[in-house]
Parts: sequence; C-alpha cells; structure tokens
Amino acid sequence: MGSDDYGKERALIEIRGLGKSFVGQDNETVEALRDVNLDVGENEFLTVLGPSGCGKTTLLKTIAGLIPWNDGDIRIDGTPVRGPGPDRSMVFQNFALLPWATVLDNVAFGLRMRGVGRAEREERARSLIAMVGLSGFETKRPGELSGGMQQRVGLARALAMRPRVLLMDEPFGAVDEQTRRLLQEELLSIWEEHRMTVVFITHSMEEAVLLGDRVVLMSARPGRISEIVPVPLERPRSSDVGALERSGQYVEITAYLWDRLRDMHEEHRPSKVAG
Amino acid sequence: MSALADHHSTRAAPARKRPSWRRLPAAPISLAAGAAAWELIGQLAGMSFFPPLSTVLARLADMATSGLIVTSLADSLVNLILGFAISLAAGLVAGVAMGRYRKVEAALGVYVYALLTAPSLVFAPIFFSLLGEGRGSIVAVVVMYAMFVIIINTASAIQSVPVHLVEMARSYGAGERQVLLRVMLPAAAPMIMAGVRLGVGRAVTGMINGEMFIAVVGLGRIVTQAGGRFDSAGVLAVLLVIIAVALGAVALVQAVDRRITRWVPRTTRGNQ
Repeated sequence: MGSDDYGKERALIEIRGLGKSFVGQDNETVEALRDVNLDVGENEFLTVLGPSGCGKTTLLKTIAGLIPWNDGDIRIDGTPVRGPGPDRSMVFQNFALLPWATVLDNVAFGLRMRGVGRAEREERARSLIAMVGLSGFETKRPGELSGGMQQRVGLARALAMRPRVLLMDEPFGAVDEQTRRLLQEELLSIWEEHRMTVVFITHSMEEAVLLGDRVVLMSARPGRISEIVPVPLERPRSSDVGALERSGQYVEITAYLWDRLRDMHEEHRPSKVAG
Repeated sequence: MSALADHHSTRAAPARKRPSWRRLPAAPISLAAGAAAWELIGQLAGMSFFPPLSTVLARLADMATSGLIVTSLADSLVNLILGFAISLAAGLVAGVAMGRYRKVEAALGVYVYALLTAPSLVFAPIFFSLLGEGRGSIVAVVVMYAMFVIIINTASAIQSVPVHLVEMARSYGAGERQVLLRVMLPAAAPMIMAGVRLGVGRAVTGMINGEMFIAVVGLGRIVTQAGGRFDSAGVLAVLLVIIAVALGAVALVQAVDRRITRWVPRTTRGNQ
C-alpha cells in the first residue's frame, strides 16, 4: 500500500544518469549524452532546446526505446524502458509516412502493428484524421499532400495510439514558417483538450517557449542538460498566441534562452573574437 | 532592323505549328519500317540464308497449320513458367535475406556475383548428367539464367529502403516480420520489379538455349531441326515466335509492375 502512494508522487518519465556514446565515422568515440537526469511529470509539455549535435534527438530515441544506451536508467511510470511500447508514440521530423499507403492506412499503421482489428483501427483513424483537419483526404497518398498536411498525418498516426507519452522530434522543422505557426497553434489546442505527456525537441527558442511548461536547455559535446527553464505563461495559450508573444514574460524568457544558446555557440567557436 | 525582325519571325513560325511527325505513334512506325527493310533487303539480296519477311511469314503459317508450333510452344511455355516461378520465389527470398542481413550477404554474395557473370550455359552438361534430358534440366538452365539478376536487384532494393521508415515502424511496435512485409518489401517493390523484368527476359533466353543444347524439345527443337536442314525461313519463323513470347512475358511483368508501383511519382520521364 505504501509503495502505491509513493508511485503516485513519482514523475511519469524518470531518467537517471543516462549516458550514450557511439563510434563515429573516423573511429573516434562520440559522447552523445553524459549523465542526463530528468523527470517529466504526468501531462507535462516539456520542450528540449539546444544547438545541433547536443544529443536531443538521441535523448528522444532512447526514451522511445529505439536505440540502446550505455549507462543509466529510463523508467516510464516506474517500468524500465526495454524497447518501443504502446505507451509512447513518436512524430518524426521528416514525417516518415509510407508513400504507397493512403492517409487512412498511414494513420492506422501503428494500430495495425499492435494488432487492432481493421474495423476498429479504421474508425479510430478516421476520427483522428478529422481531429487534425484532414477529413476528405483519407484516400490520398502522402505524395499528393503538402508538407504541413503530411505532418498532420504523422501527428494523427501518433495520437491514434492514445499514448501516455508523445515524443516529437523537431516535428515542424521541415515545414515553412506560416505552416509551422498554424501547426503549433493546432498542437496546442489539441493538447489543451486531450492532455498527455509531451517531450518536444526543437531548435527554435520561440517554439520552445510557446509550447512548453518547461524548457530543457542542452549543450553539446558531450550532450548534457545545462539548465531547465520554467515557462510560467498562462494556459490555455492557443486562444491568443499573438498576445502571448507580445507579453513581457515571453519576450524575457526567449531572450534569456538566446543568451544562453549564444554562449554555447561562442564556447565552441574555433577562434574567439577578442574583446 | 527589318532583316532582324524577319529573321525572328521565320524562326518563331515553326515553333508555333507543332511538327506533325511528333504526334505519330513511335512503336508501330518503327515496326513497319523494320518489316519493310527486311522484306526489301531479303528480296534484293536473293540469298537463301536471308529470306524476305513474306517467305518467313508463309513458313510460319505452314508450321502453325500443321500444329507443330502449337505443341512446341506449349512445351516451351511450361519450361519457361516453371523456371521463372522458381527463379522468382528463390530470388526474392535470397535477395531479401542478402539485403537485410549482412552475414547472409557476406556468405552468399560471392557466389551470386560469380554465377551472374558466368555464362550460364556451361552448367548445361552438369544439369544434363544430374537431371537427364527431361524437363528438369531445361528448367534448371532457365533458373540459372534468370535467378541471379533477381537476387541482386532485390538485395540492393532492400538495402536502399529509407532507414527512417524502418525506425518509424519499429517505434510503433513492428517486429522483424512486419518490418519486412509491411515496410521493406513495399518500399523496395519498384526496384525489385526492375530486376524481375530483366529476369523474365533472361528466362526466355535460357529456355531456348536449354531446349537447343540439352533436351531437344519445344521451340528449341524446331530451331535446331530447321537449322540442320539449312531452312533459314524456318529458323527465322521460330525466332519470331520466340520474340513474341519474350515480349508477351515482359508485357505481363510490366502490367504487374504498374499495379504494384502505382504510388511512385512518374515525373522523371518525358512524354514526347
């Protein structure tokens, strides 16, 4: 009984002493992650920000159970991660849609892999397609859709699994600025309605602040957590993103993150400018 | 100035009117031209070993009415279908295994490349002594001709499946079997089909060579017999039938190919 109570106070995702290195192209060992400790609360929206090469995608893939790691421990709701699981869904930067499959089949793909019967998975897929605003496109193939629409399919595929944890790897990095803003607002309103735990990788300060409850700032070589910055902006945020972006708090946090990121870039510059 | 203007207008005129020959269908015209050239050269040359097309067609009609062609053709087609079916099944399995598993590629690769480049007919005597002069030997020759190109194309097709698709499938819980069946095979299908198209052409060659050099049956037998009588018209008549078989087989594979790979955007080919 006592251990049950303890479980409820625990974070949903617990990462302890995570270390990951691999052998790079020139046979040198690259330390992608070093001693990463992180707790993600139930229904928290966590954004992870850092320069390229800081291991943020590696971190996400270890949580997804897609790649092994060398040291430490990852637990989801107390259970150690041993591989991919139905409690976690991933959204990919390059969409990773099956080009031969229709929108409906792409959205239903995860359900099919998990053995959900045809009638049920198509019904669930259709309702998710409606949620991301793609009704009427069920029989189209990815090649017939714009980048923004393709990522809506990717998002619907992930949400169709009803995951506890949504893992997003720079999901809006490959679409144009205007589409990105629309997708951000849509993701916010979907998440405000259907709360779940989100780990969202990005290289945009604005995106990290707009979406996140906290911003995890990572630094490179080796990849490690440099700071965790809380974002005390009020929710729901989807109703008036414009006003939020003009608020003093938003501007302040974004500026602070940029200061920190610029310091990191300076550190790794081959020759520092004097003065 | 006016000369320059004139020059421009004469240049621009033909561009606006599209030349009419562009609208003509290329393949039928090419065939008709080839047939005419054959007939003309055959008539003018008057050599017994190069009869004109009309003589060859008359000979073909004779053979068809006597029933010789039909029974031989049926015999040959059975050899072709059996050999090609085995090549396809074994080629796909071996190709997928080689493309997916590095150990299998390391183990089989050298044999596959060796046998692809080796002249397949040198194995004919071996098959003959092993399997006798029956259908088995001919089918084995067809397999030797067709299988390796299918293996190699399938292996490279599997290797070029985008890694991120496999990663996506694994993240959604796909096991190895599902990754192979639901992601790798469909993604590799266009390139696999290119190998199958090459394979079917080689299978026809293998069928005729097997029938001519091992067991003298089918269309290969008619070719051999006609050749022995210095009956050039007969040889060329059977050659026409063989070409028809090859073109038919390739057309069949292409029809399947189009069904399977309908999703591939066809933007890299001109329409002119």
